[in-house]
Amino acid sequence: MQDVVDLKLGARWRAVQEPRVRLDVFVVVLVACAVASAVLASWLPLQVSIVTVFLFAGPHNWFELRYFLMRLPVRFGRSRNFFITAFTGLGFLTLTYISLPLLYRTASLTEETWLTIVAGWNTLLLFWLALLTRLRSRQKRLSDWSWTVPVALTLAALNWLRPDLFSLAIVYIHPLVAFWFLDRHLQRTRPDWLRAYRRCLLLLPLLLGAMVWQLSRTAQLPDDNGLFWRITQHSGAELLPQVSSHLLVSVHLFLEMLHYAVWIVALPLIGASVKFWDVKKVPLARHPKGFPKLIAAMLIVAIAIVVALWLGFSTDYATTRDVYFTIAIAHVLAEAPFLLRML
Amino acid sequence: MKPILSICCLILLSQATIANADVRAPQRLQSGKVVLRTNLDVVPEANGSQARLQISQSDLQALRAALDGSPGTPAVAAGFSPSPGRTIVAGMMLFLAISFTGVLLARSRRGRTQKTVAGLVLIAAVVGAATVITRGNAGPPPGYWSWRHLSKNLAESQPTSGSLAIEVVPDDPNKPSRIKLVIPVEQKKTTGE
Repeated sequence: MQDVVDLKLGARWRAVQEPRVRLDVFVVVLVACAVASAVLASWLPLQVSIVTVFLFAGPHNWFELRYFLMRLPVRFGRSRNFFITAFTGLGFLTLTYISLPLLYRTASLTEETWLTIVAGWNTLLLFWLALLTRLRSRQKRLSDWSWTVPVALTLAALNWLRPDLFSLAIVYIHPLVAFWFLDRHLQRTRPDWLRAYRRCLLLLPLLLGAMVWQLSRTAQLPDDNGLFWRITQHSGAELLPQVSSHLLVSVHLFLEMLHYAVWIVALPLIGASVKFWDVKKVPLARHPKGFPKLIAAMLIVAIAIVVALWLGFSTDYATTRDVYFTIAIAHVLAEAPFLLRML
Repeated sequence: MKPILSICCLILLSQATIANADVRAPQRLQSGKVVLRTNLDVVPEANGSQARLQISQSDLQALRAALDGSPGTPAVAAGFSPSPGRTIVAGMMLFLAISFTGVLLARSRRGRTQKTVAGLVLIAAVVGAATVITRGNAGPPPGYWSWRHLSKNLAESQPTSGSLAIEVVPDDPNKPSRIKLVIPVEQKKTTGE
């Protein structure tokens, strides 16, 4: 039933929303964003990283929140178990993730104990994802997603061998999830654009290959101050000392910039968040049994958090960056159930 | 016939990883216990009067901690060798993954040949992946590629950066104590002509 509702919603979007741009403009914007991001990320990785996170980290979270609210049904119906599992796991995993740095600072843990804790958290994440996939597959009776169980177990095994690298893999894979969202959204709202979009995606490995070719032999980036050190560590410079930190930071920044571009530019451009300031456009607020005040309050509080984030970055960039990337795990996790709902 | 050939190729490939693992490993002069992994910049200094070794305060503290036998900072050399406990858990997960796959294949409606092919391909892939991961250090060591162009860079007065493993070697009573920097170099092929 929920799929039917989704299909109806997609059809309504197709019918009601006029394309804000033509396909050729959309493609040009995508390609220009990708090339410009690759050039900037390769040229001045540390400086551009600082500016990019400052400007776009908070706003992209706001756009994500709004997008997720748009996708949230007024009544869960048959999806009740799915959403309960999603929100319970989201809350639990976020709280435990945030408590990890506090635990590291307060308790004197050995290196092995710390890695075991990280591996345990990663395993819980994988099991949560597998459970959500299982619940979702029950709703889609024509699809057989049983293969995801052995895949999750294999990933869990690899995680226990190198939990630190597994965590780093999440850092690099998460930005790519935005492309999946865009793909699913186009399939629902602009199916005739999908082919062109997927062809544009072929540019991604080409740009990444060019960056690796150009930057793999470059000298390590200076990490002699706390901020630069944080940025290189975030990209995995300490875990992969044999790889140039310039390459690591550039590739990570490139993916992050594309991630922000999808949420802030691409999705609003194709009408996913048309009139994003208008709360009435959110089904959860527009519905007679909806919660307009709650939705409006949530979006206003989210704007306040974005402004607070900018103030924090202005006063103490390094600390705010640390805090942001710890708390931001919530949006990384939240993407999983909403993406599953779109599959 | 083709599936069987494909399986044989996959199994041979996974074995080749093991067989070739030591081909390019550089010859070591003397091996010691690795106590710290960090990065090294070799920087030519124009008009310099003496060679200088600069080490950061944090690296020095980590080195001291490692020499004292204390855990040191977790970020240093984190997880280079999986512990027995984590390896056991990983093995259990892998066992469960293969078991689930087996059950799924057995319950699937495909033909027997396809099931066999899929099962063997999966096993070959898992064994191959595990081999690559567990024997990951048997190939060129970290930093090998970074140091390949050291001599060329030095000739052009350009800096070179790469990873560095600090090893503690036992004292030799017959030789004076000195610090040695061992750099992997690219061996030039000799044609014999």
